[in-house]
Amino acid sequence: MTTLPFAWRSLVRQPARSTLGVLGVAAVGALLFDMLLLSEGLVVSMRDLFERMGFDIRIIATDQLPAGSPDIRNASMLASKIAALPTVQSALTIRTEDADFETTVASTNDGSIVGVGEGAPPPWTVLRGRDLRGSHELVLNQHAAETLNVEPGAMVAVRATCAGGSEAPPSLQFRVVGIAELPFEAPEESAAGTTAASLSEACGTPQADIADFVAVTSTGNPDAAAADIAAIGAGLRVFTNEQAIGQLQQGGFTYFRQISTVLSTITISFALLLITVLLTVSVNQRLGEVAALRALGFSRNRVVLDVLCESALIVGIGGVLSLPLGVLMATWLDGILKRMPGIPAELHFFVFEPKALLVHGSLLAATAIIAALYPMRIVARLPIAATLRNEVIS
Amino acid sequence: MPAGPVVAVRDVTLTIARGEHAAIRGPSGCGKSTLLHMLGCVDTPSSGTLTFDGRNISALDDRARSLLRLRHIGFVFQRFFLLPMLTAAENVELPQSEAGVPKTERRKRSLELLEYVGLGARADHRPSQLSGGEMQRVAIARALANRPRLLLADEPTGELDQTTGEQVAALLHRVNADGTALVIVTHDTALAARATRVLTMRDGRIEGEVLQ
Repeated sequence: MTTLPFAWRSLVRQPARSTLGVLGVAAVGALLFDMLLLSEGLVVSMRDLFERMGFDIRIIATDQLPAGSPDIRNASMLASKIAALPTVQSALTIRTEDADFETTVASTNDGSIVGVGEGAPPPWTVLRGRDLRGSHELVLNQHAAETLNVEPGAMVAVRATCAGGSEAPPSLQFRVVGIAELPFEAPEESAAGTTAASLSEACGTPQADIADFVAVTSTGNPDAAAADIAAIGAGLRVFTNEQAIGQLQQGGFTYFRQISTVLSTITISFALLLITVLLTVSVNQRLGEVAALRALGFSRNRVVLDVLCESALIVGIGGVLSLPLGVLMATWLDGILKRMPGIPAELHFFVFEPKALLVHGSLLAATAIIAALYPMRIVARLPIAATLRNEVIS
Repeated sequence: MPAGPVVAVRDVTLTIARGEHAAIRGPSGCGKSTLLHMLGCVDTPSSGTLTFDGRNISALDDRARSLLRLRHIGFVFQRFFLLPMLTAAENVELPQSEAGVPKTERRKRSLELLEYVGLGARADHRPSQLSGGEMQRVAIARALANRPRLLLADEPTGELDQTTGEQVAALLHRVNADGTALVIVTHDTALAARATRVLTMRDGRIEGEVLQ
């Protein structure tokens, strides 16, 4: 009987203990898997969101991402200048403000409205109706449309609350022309999209030509386009998607990675202790048998390998079970975290990447080996004659 | 004060001939089992020389001694030490598996050996389904699996009742008659009586030797 089947039989011999070990590893492995998904999840998800918007480069008025930076003045002029660069395909000003929406029968609070410039397709996806063609037109997200109970063609009053705008601008009537999925919209958040000029009107400052950032699509080389834009010398910061992600990684996302590292270390330590204790107890209970096998000619390497295989089987089976368990837990935890206010619906905290699976497998393999070291040492250094004698005496 | 070294066996010169049947007797703690373990290469004498088939094996490393035991020496223990999760046939197969015998061949050999010890019908039974005497017979079959030239038995009837013990004694006698040298450590007078040579030990020394 080769080592692996032999180790399997040894485990099956103590079904309750082995099952507990496997379940323990499955639980710990699931948590470890989730921590690995969490460590890079936000970054991967944010990169995906950026890429889905279709822009390569973001231009803002400060070094810090994400939002909250000062407004860009003369935004449309800057966008036109950027769009004229040979490495740039298009440039779009984007401004977001808080807004409430009202109809004669319903209203929403704590919503937002996005105003976009001209020269590039807007960053939303129209689900029903059509896109904007003129001023005082609006696309609503699904949640706002459901809350207000409106469809394309309806009129909605928008009361915007704008930084640097009038303190209490009057509400402005907009025609809903489409229902759209807006980027970075949060679940349960009412959001709308309109033109930059219409948003300025809603803010009570129709002459204002400002934007939170300018979104740029390059002709294929974002780095070259970013360099060209920086050479314009408007005193703005230019970020390619990768640079923006890098900035986020060094900023708030670091906390998730640190939490993930600490929790991963703790879970691995628990797995190590669990397996080491189980195997040590198991080995100590059958020292006589091990000594007998050694007396019958089993080599030291063979009995050591048997223990290692037992560890590998417990961790291997537990590790495989941990994956679906981890996915379930990640889905559940993701749902909880996404309930935080202001989190875009399309952003996920736990995102699967093949690398996470590889690291998960490697860490569990290392756990199986390290956890087996002490029990392997016991059988490797077992004095055969003394053990056989002790077994008879006991 | 720390305890000094315990000398279990001293001044022993002993030769076991091919096909010989020897029994070692003596009071508890006189060094019988230690001598048997030395003969079986599971214990190493602190001084002196141990030879097997004319070859000095005193200085062999652990790996070489394991190989020697696997191929040439069989062990039968007082407490059987059958693996409870394996069937009788699988227990007999184990040493062959370690020796690299192909699966079909070792299965065949195991069934032959179980027939030899009178347990052909119990090949698929686990140790928990066997009586003490049957377990010891399986253990004897396991010890014979790799056709050893020397079979060492440490109190092989120690855990058995008289009738069963006599069956096991008869089986061991038959194994010896079929050509395997046999050394038995025993308190059992009937078992020792079957040996052609009885060694008596006291305080680690061979005190007497009787040829029967």
